[in-house]
Amino acid sequence: MTQLARSYIHRVDGLNRFIGRLVMYGIFVMMGILLWSSVSKTFFMPSLWTLEMAQFAMVAYYILGGPYSVQLGTNVRMDLLYGEWSPRRQAWTDSLTVLFLITYLGILLWGGIDSTIYSFKYGGERSPTAWRPYLWPIKVIMCTGIFLMLLQAVSELLKDILRIRGEEI
Amino acid sequence: MSYDLIAILMFSTMMLMLLTGQRVFGAIGFVAVMAALLLWGDRGGYDLAFSAAMKLMKWYPLLTLPMFIFMGYVLSESKIADDLYKMFHVWMGGLNGGLAIGTIGLMVLISAMNGLSVAGMAIGATIALPELLKRGYDKRMVTGVIQAGSSLGILVPPSVVLVLYAMIARQPVGQLWLAGVVPGLMMAAMFILYIAIRCRISPELGPVLPPEERNIDRAEKLRLLSAGMLPLFIFASMMVPFVNGWTSLVESSAIGAMAAFLAAVLKGRMTREVFENSVRNTLGISCMFMWIILAALAFGAVFDGLGAVKAIENVFTEKLGLSPWMILILMQLSFILMGTFLDDTAMLVIVAPLYVPLVGELGFDLIWYGVLYTITTQIAYMTPPFGYNLFLMRAMAPPEISLRDIYASIIPFVIIMVAALTIIMVFPQIALWLPDYVYNK
Repeated sequence: MTQLARSYIHRVDGLNRFIGRLVMYGIFVMMGILLWSSVSKTFFMPSLWTLEMAQFAMVAYYILGGPYSVQLGTNVRMDLLYGEWSPRRQAWTDSLTVLFLITYLGILLWGGIDSTIYSFKYGGERSPTAWRPYLWPIKVIMCTGIFLMLLQAVSELLKDILRIRGEEI
Repeated sequence: MSYDLIAILMFSTMMLMLLTGQRVFGAIGFVAVMAALLLWGDRGGYDLAFSAAMKLMKWYPLLTLPMFIFMGYVLSESKIADDLYKMFHVWMGGLNGGLAIGTIGLMVLISAMNGLSVAGMAIGATIALPELLKRGYDKRMVTGVIQAGSSLGILVPPSVVLVLYAMIARQPVGQLWLAGVVPGLMMAAMFILYIAIRCRISPELGPVLPPEERNIDRAEKLRLLSAGMLPLFIFASMMVPFVNGWTSLVESSAIGAMAAFLAAVLKGRMTREVFENSVRNTLGISCMFMWIILAALAFGAVFDGLGAVKAIENVFTEKLGLSPWMILILMQLSFILMGTFLDDTAMLVIVAPLYVPLVGELGFDLIWYGVLYTITTQIAYMTPPFGYNLFLMRAMAPPEISLRDIYASIIPFVIIMVAALTIIMVFPQIALWLPDYVYNK
């Protein structure tokens, strides 16, 4: 059982770390799109696609990068009481409260999948702008990211359980 | 159950969950989705969270957030601000308290290049603070100077706090930023005035630099002055195309990020390590903000659906018979009070969705309130026992500065900031004339 938990943590963390380190260079993709947008606007025809493409890039950036940010521990907590507790007490509390997080992500994913299925219907949902891109690719990316976030939250739960039992991770 | 009661219940559940120390976005998101499911069932309830994600995507100015975070990290990690500090050091050293005044100047320049207070804090605590202490400056005064100065980062454009405020208040970011310029400079001037007067009365707080340190030849002095051109150049590359309407705000932010990155590369400061740290931290902090906004939007949507704001407004105006101004003053006071024990990010996402629509209902200008809101956040950042800046300072300051010193150091500066807040409340034109001038010409 412990072995299984360890191998899950190892795999999920490894996968999310890989994806996170890949999308972190997305900052340059966003910058590139926006710079092209300013250049093309000033010197030739304004591009139709830049605005939405930048938005899609941003969404992919933060949703796919989310699990890695959990690993990095950058997600703020209110540490008024939490900061004072012993690591064991923190692990106990976390192992219970991470269920809130899992519930939230689960419902987020539920809504996401529903919305993605809708996007495939009626010949594909398009964005109501001049460029009219299909919306399903970004929704699929969002669902994937939320699913990875869910996997990461479970991994955090397993880590806390191992910590409570005093075992190595 | 009445809607006001549901709203109060949601609010208190969220506070309770935040206290457990779970990640802020998880706690807020959980309360939002559970409330939606209980109120509206699985039709309309479950897709609320995801539609918040779609709403967030369509909010174009949010793209400035990763750009400015990246800019801030490039500036603080690559240490291109060192020369700036030297410039103030050489040019202002001859005055009593001159280095402290120079530090405020440094903070204003750094604030004009990034949108959070962290970068200013890091630069101030690691570069300016040790130098000031070595020169015999009073440690309480300089600790206060750096904390107060770095808090200007969120008021002087570009400001991340105002971007977030703009999203919640549904106001244009450009006007909000311009509204922050004059109050920011006014506050910096008030800080400088305070230091000058204080050091005039008791010169031992800020001794003059010894002459051998000041007698640097003119060529070197001029070379250092050119270091000051760098932030002006970065700031101009961002604001000039924007104010002239050549580029949108978001495009300007990308230009600014690129300019900061290029400046670091050209100065030979963009090492592998600096690059890795800036890119990785940008992802981490951007994700932190975005996921919290995502959860807070869902929470706000439930609140909107309940009509909770209207209900709260009725309690104040109808039942208690208060005038709008009384309510506004009460709100600012409660805001400062909350800021003393709430984490800054939590404040931003909890307080804003509740207060901002209320201010709108009362008929106040939301651009003007954005400035008040930001200054209040600044004060909250700095007030004990729980201020984000206080802890950062503790983490970065040299060991001879105790937590007690840090607490004591901010008192005069908080008084100045409250004074500035009052002045802007009484004279809204201080904040509003610049955006009016630029947008109505």
